[in-house]
Amino acid sequence: MICDQCGERSASVIVKQQQHGQIIERNLCHVCAAENHSINVAFEQDPLAIHQLLSNWFPNSQASTSPARKEVVTCPSCGFTFSKFLRLGKFGCDSCYDAFSPHLDEIFKRFHNGNIEHKGKIPASYGTTLKIKKEIEELRKQMQVCIQEEDFEKAARLRDEVKALSAKLEGGAADGS
Amino acid sequence: MAVERFLQPHASSWMTNNAENVDIAMSTRIRLARNLTDFKFPYSFTEDEALKVDKEISSVLLDKGNELDYNFSHISIEELAQLQKEVLVEKHLISPFLVNSQRSGSVLLSENEELSIMVNEEDHLRIQSLQPGFQLQQAFKIANELDSLLEKNLSYAFHEKYGYLTSCPTNAGTGMRASVMLHLPALTMSHQIQRIIPAISRLGMVVRGIYGEGSEALGNVYQISNQLTLGKSEYEILQDLENMTEQIIQQERKAREAIALNSPMILEDRVYRSLGVLTHSRLLTTEEAATRLSDVRLGIDLKMIQDLDMSILNELMIFMQPAFLQQYADKPLQPRERDFARAKLFRERLNKKDRNSEGEDLA
Repeated sequence: MICDQCGERSASVIVKQQQHGQIIERNLCHVCAAENHSINVAFEQDPLAIHQLLSNWFPNSQASTSPARKEVVTCPSCGFTFSKFLRLGKFGCDSCYDAFSPHLDEIFKRFHNGNIEHKGKIPASYGTTLKIKKEIEELRKQMQVCIQEEDFEKAARLRDEVKALSAKLEGGAADGS
Repeated sequence: MAVERFLQPHASSWMTNNAENVDIAMSTRIRLARNLTDFKFPYSFTEDEALKVDKEISSVLLDKGNELDYNFSHISIEELAQLQKEVLVEKHLISPFLVNSQRSGSVLLSENEELSIMVNEEDHLRIQSLQPGFQLQQAFKIANELDSLLEKNLSYAFHEKYGYLTSCPTNAGTGMRASVMLHLPALTMSHQIQRIIPAISRLGMVVRGIYGEGSEALGNVYQISNQLTLGKSEYEILQDLENMTEQIIQQERKAREAIALNSPMILEDRVYRSLGVLTHSRLLTTEEAATRLSDVRLGIDLKMIQDLDMSILNELMIFMQPAFLQQYADKPLQPRERDFARAKLFRERLNKKDRNSEGEDLA
């Protein structure tokens, strides 16, 4: 049978459509059928859904075929397991990010063209904390150097600075700013 | 009820027609996804938590919105009738996901409908900012201002490495999806769009038809948006999308010129034939209406039709959808009755003024 639409290729699909109360039957080839808008609407499930991509990239075999290595990573906060995350394609809570973090770089790389780190906006309150944290880290490094060089006076000065900054950090967290 | 005004067939400000490049770029949207700390995400939270999240976010928005001169209306999704939900979806003010959610959620709408904030969609908070035409920076500015205001009063889930934490790994980082709606009839007619789409996806952006993933976009309307949310700043994402959109607009203009030059009579016939159908037919399916609207839109852009306001076409694109028609008719309509109602709506809206007969417009 020849396709009703292009009249060229042989028909491989029968499409039944209800139009103005009547059922219309059309024989289409695979090309015309794929172009048919009303058919495409019928596929409600997104053929490229995230969870399908994820489960194809990280097939269950990883966990099931090597029982010796089988480790069930579970998020302590919401109870999502890594395999549930793969199945749904979604995180259950913010702690999942830390719980699954050993596997996340690989996942983010695929979704974000090789990128794994945020480069954008930082919430203002968080920005200050982050800055202080980095400063403390830096001071601690300097302190280690001073101790190795036996410059205890300077090390003590740095220790006080770290103390002051840590207090600021805790104070800031306490009043919620 | 607060929702009534948003259900009326009046144009949202993003459907108007006074922005740059509006002939091709119809509208711009920015969406920011955010979640609160101390609450599980919507895929795992309980109804009790959902209610608490809704209450916390809504009260901040209703309270602090005034600081930015927004008088938000709060609408609980579960209080809406099915048809009312569908109308809001057709107006792009809420997503089908929010409508189908099992947990309590709401939407907060600004009076001019430029801002729509969904609570408990896939994430606790989805800030959506809509602008007419091609205005990525302006749409971002509005969304970002509101976001900064909210963050002073809410504790966002944020990670040093992963940025804003979202339910879906495809949104983590900036949580930002920026998109521009483009009317590309000439690139579609000349089949160039099939070559453009895969090229764009290699650069971390996506093009799709606005009514889904089908290969041919209904009414030749496509949406281009960023796919990456990690590894680039908001500024870089917007820049890339802006450059890409500008290039597509230029390509569409070139394709239009080529068609107008090579087959002016065929084009003119197509435009006026479509205008005839829209102004005189008695039955119009969604698909035919979308196709004919696209032709008439092109006719206005090419100055073939001069006495028709583009913003009417923008409105019709929204109001011709099934839920709107039924809301307008104030009763449920069967598909065939909808086709009749749709044709009537087009005749009423397009024949309103004493328009010149088509022939007189010709040079």
